[in-house]
Amino acid sequence: MEFILNFLGSLLNQFQSPTLAFLLGGILLAAFQSKLQIPDAIYKFCVFMLLMRIGLEGGMEIRDGKIEDMFLPAFIAVTIGCGIVFLGRVTLAALPGVKTEDAIATAGLFGAVSASTLAAAMVILDENEVFYEAWVPALYPFMDIPALIVAIVLANIYLTKKKKGAETKVKIWPIITESLRGSALSALILGLALGLFAQPEKVYEGFYDPLFRGLLSVLMLIMGMEAYTRLNELRKVAHWYAVYAALAPLAHGLVAFSLGYVAHILTGFSPGGVILLAVIAGSSSDISGPPTLRAAIPSANPSTYIGSSTSVGTPIAIAVGIPLYIVLAQAVFEM
Amino acid sequence: MTYIATKVIIVTEKIILKRVAEVIEQAGGSGYTVIASGGKGSRGIRTTGSAAVVDDFSNIKIEVVTMDRDAAERIATNVAEKFFQDYSGITYLETVEILRPHKF
Repeated sequence: MEFILNFLGSLLNQFQSPTLAFLLGGILLAAFQSKLQIPDAIYKFCVFMLLMRIGLEGGMEIRDGKIEDMFLPAFIAVTIGCGIVFLGRVTLAALPGVKTEDAIATAGLFGAVSASTLAAAMVILDENEVFYEAWVPALYPFMDIPALIVAIVLANIYLTKKKKGAETKVKIWPIITESLRGSALSALILGLALGLFAQPEKVYEGFYDPLFRGLLSVLMLIMGMEAYTRLNELRKVAHWYAVYAALAPLAHGLVAFSLGYVAHILTGFSPGGVILLAVIAGSSSDISGPPTLRAAIPSANPSTYIGSSTSVGTPIAIAVGIPLYIVLAQAVFEM
Repeated sequence: MTYIATKVIIVTEKIILKRVAEVIEQAGGSGYTVIASGGKGSRGIRTTGSAAVVDDFSNIKIEVVTMDRDAAERIATNVAEKFFQDYSGITYLETVEILRPHKF
C-alpha cells in the first residue's frame, strides 16, 4: 500500500514538470479555441534543432566511448519495433469494426518513434538528474525503420490475399531510404556524423544545447494543440482505436522496460537508458511515419492511425508513460 | 490574338504530387503549375498554411494547360483512375484562351 501511495505521489510530482505543463497547456489552448498559431516553419525548425542536438551529443559520446555497448540495446530496439506491429496485427486487427489494413498501419505508427516524446523524456530525465548514456537516443532508427517496414509488408501480404491477385512484391529498400530522408532522421544522422567526425563542442555548447529546453517547450505546445485538433478525426472511426491508443503506449513501454532491465543485468545498461528505451518503445511516430504509411498503404484510412497516434498515443506516452517509467525505475533500481 | 486551349485542374493531396506529375507528363502535358490549396469536400475541411504537424497531408491544386484536348481528357481520366480510389481529389476541365501557343 505504501508503495502505491509513493508511486502516485511521485507521479503527481512529475506532472509539474515544465515539459508536461506545456503539453497540457497546448491541449487547453486548442480546447478553448484559441487563435494562437505557431507556423509550420517554426515546428520544422524545432524538430531540426532537437534532433541535431541529440545527434551531436550522441555522436560525441560514441566517439569517446565504446560502441559495442550499443549492440544489445540496438538489437532489443529492433525486436520491439517489429514485435509491436505483430502484436497490433493480432490484437487491434481482430477487434470488431476495425479494418485490418487500418489496424496494421496504426500498429506500424505505434512501433515507430516520436522525436518529440524522446526529447521530452531526455529533458525530464535531466530535471530529475538521472544519468543515461548519450547514445541511447541514437537507438531511434533501430526501432523506427523496422516497425514501418514490418507494417508495410504485413499490410501488403494481407491486401494481396484479400484480392487474391498477383503477388505484389514489397520493395524494402525504398522504405528505408524514404525513412532516412525524413526530416527528423536526417537531422539526427547528420548530428551523429558531425559529432563523430568533427569537433562540434563549441557550437554544441554555445547554440544547440542552450536552446534545447526552450524549443522543446514550443514543440510541446504544438503537440498539445495538434492532439486536441486531431481528436475530431478519431471520433469518426471505431472506438477501439482510442482504447488501443491509450493502452498500447504503456504496454509497449513496459515490455521495453523489462527487456532493458535484462540488458542492465547483462551489460550494465544504465537505469536512465532503460527508461529512455521504454519511452522510445512507448512513443508513436508523428512526423515521418504518417507520410511513409500513407504512401505505402494508400487504402488504409489516415484518420485511424494519425488520430490514434497524435491525439491519444503521444499525450499518453509523454504525460503518463515518462513519469511512470521514472517512478518504476526509482523503485526497481532503488535510485 | 488568342488561341483556345484546355486547362485541366486537379485538386488532391500533396503527398502524391510527384506521382501525379509523372502521369501528367506521360499523358502528354508539357508543364504544370502547383498551388497550395484548401477547402471543403467529401473528406472534410482542409485548411491552407496551418501548423499541421504533417505538412504532407495538406492539399494542392495542379493546373495543366494544353492545346491538345485529347491529352487533357487523358490526364484527367488517368489521374482519377490511378489515385482517387485511395486518395482524396477532384478533377475538372476548363476551356481557356491563351497567348503564345508554342509555350503549351
